[in-house]
Amino acid sequence: MEDLIKKIKTRLHLRPEAEEFLYSISKEIKHSKGEVLIREGQMVKKTFFVTSGCLRSFCIDNNGKEHTLLFAINDWWISDYIAIHNNELATLTVECLTDSTVIEFNAKELDGIHTRFPEFESYQRLNLERHVVSLHKRILNQLQLSATERYDLFLKQYPDIERHTRNYHIASFLGITQESLSRIRVEKAKK
Amino acid sequence: MKALQIIKYGEIKDSLDFNEVSKPTVKANDVLIEVKAAAINPIDKSIILGNLQGMLPLPLPSTSAYDVSGVVIEKGDDVSNIEIGDLVYSRVPQEQMGTLAEFVAVTREAVSKKPGNISFEEAASLPLAGLTALQSLEYAKIKKNDSVLIHAGSGGVGSFAIQYAKAKGAYVYTTTSTSNVEWVKELGADRVIDYKTEDYKSIAKDVDVVFDTLGKNYSLESFEVVKQGGIVVSVVGPLDEASAKMFGMADYKLPEEIAKASSEKEAVYKFIFMHPNGAHLNDIKSLVEDEKIKPIIDNVYPFSESVQAFAHLSTGRAKGKIVIKIS
Repeated sequence: MEDLIKKIKTRLHLRPEAEEFLYSISKEIKHSKGEVLIREGQMVKKTFFVTSGCLRSFCIDNNGKEHTLLFAINDWWISDYIAIHNNELATLTVECLTDSTVIEFNAKELDGIHTRFPEFESYQRLNLERHVVSLHKRILNQLQLSATERYDLFLKQYPDIERHTRNYHIASFLGITQESLSRIRVEKAKK
Repeated sequence: MKALQIIKYGEIKDSLDFNEVSKPTVKANDVLIEVKAAAINPIDKSIILGNLQGMLPLPLPSTSAYDVSGVVIEKGDDVSNIEIGDLVYSRVPQEQMGTLAEFVAVTREAVSKKPGNISFEEAASLPLAGLTALQSLEYAKIKKNDSVLIHAGSGGVGSFAIQYAKAKGAYVYTTTSTSNVEWVKELGADRVIDYKTEDYKSIAKDVDVVFDTLGKNYSLESFEVVKQGGIVVSVVGPLDEASAKMFGMADYKLPEEIAKASSEKEAVYKFIFMHPNGAHLNDIKSLVEDEKIKPIIDNVYPFSESVQAFAHLSTGRAKGKIVIKIS
């Protein structure tokens, strides 16, 4: 939590009472590999800041196949934001791919922090903009780039992640088959 | 709920019917699965024909089939390793047989989460054949550079066994008919023997392990190709004496010719009874997710066409598994 507080302090003046409030709506929790933090079909009240390890969010299609939406490593946030925003049941599952430590926040309280502490308003807006930019980039990459280019970008974005993930996690994130991913890796190895 | 039931023993078209039956109740160790897909196997056909009445007496009508994949919608008080909403697969135990239905209750020990990278239909195709192959080849402690002969490489068990043995690093001989040679090669077998044009006994010699999936004369012939001190595992040949004892047949003796052949080769002969096992299914899950094993499906039938699916199974010509989509 101290690291997150430090990061926040680099971007705004954090009053002691705001810091105290952040502590009051969060707790640091260690999870084991395979633990599910959000399960499809359940209510979502929490959002998670990753301090170590690797998590992923995924949806399951009607045929029972998993499709990875996001990997979250150190310093990333992860939750089912559709469920939180629309007050709906989760359509995503969030699981730990490795033993992981997260700071678990009450999502509603965190979302409303700017009403108590207005200095968080621009901070939250910037965070949201960054998130939108990253999502737009992901969609555009999916539309414009070749599978190999998407894989290269993925490796830049998530260095070292391949140790923790199975092929199908990455293949479904990139929107390609496992066979295609294997082919791309073989081609890269030849270079 | 709707279920495909065996109403009497006999010809498939006369012996199966859709009935409205009550939803299974969940005991403390059970999960209730909403069935998405089920798969049928040769044993299901044998049961319907009445060939197993002596060994597996059933109260009729009984719902058919053992393989299932679906979603957990309810669980007993003692189930801690599986959650409601989990996508699972199972080869259900004998006493819970009946996966050709909208719901099935299964003891948690027989259930595993399904592989995340395959569909319900593909997952349903794996348990019985996969557990049979895995438990047989695990008994043989198959390892890197072992040579293994797997009979009937195009069958449900054989096609899984080839991939499993390759995942363990073994050298795989397999037999199949001419029309299947190419796709069986694609499963990874090192030497595919076309039994219509080649004599497998002159090709697979002194192998470490024979996996007998055919029985009859093939069980005995296994000792012609296995190495001195090797292992013959069979899922269709005669019972071995230890297995027979388990079934209360204390004075059972291995057929003389098998005993003699086994003794001459100082080879082990073991009959494998596949047993439902969620931990083994979890091992299979990892192998599938790592693409070491791919489900091989011949055809997927809608629930309403289950009888046609059994007719297809009866031809014995399916390349891979026959799956029935339930919902």
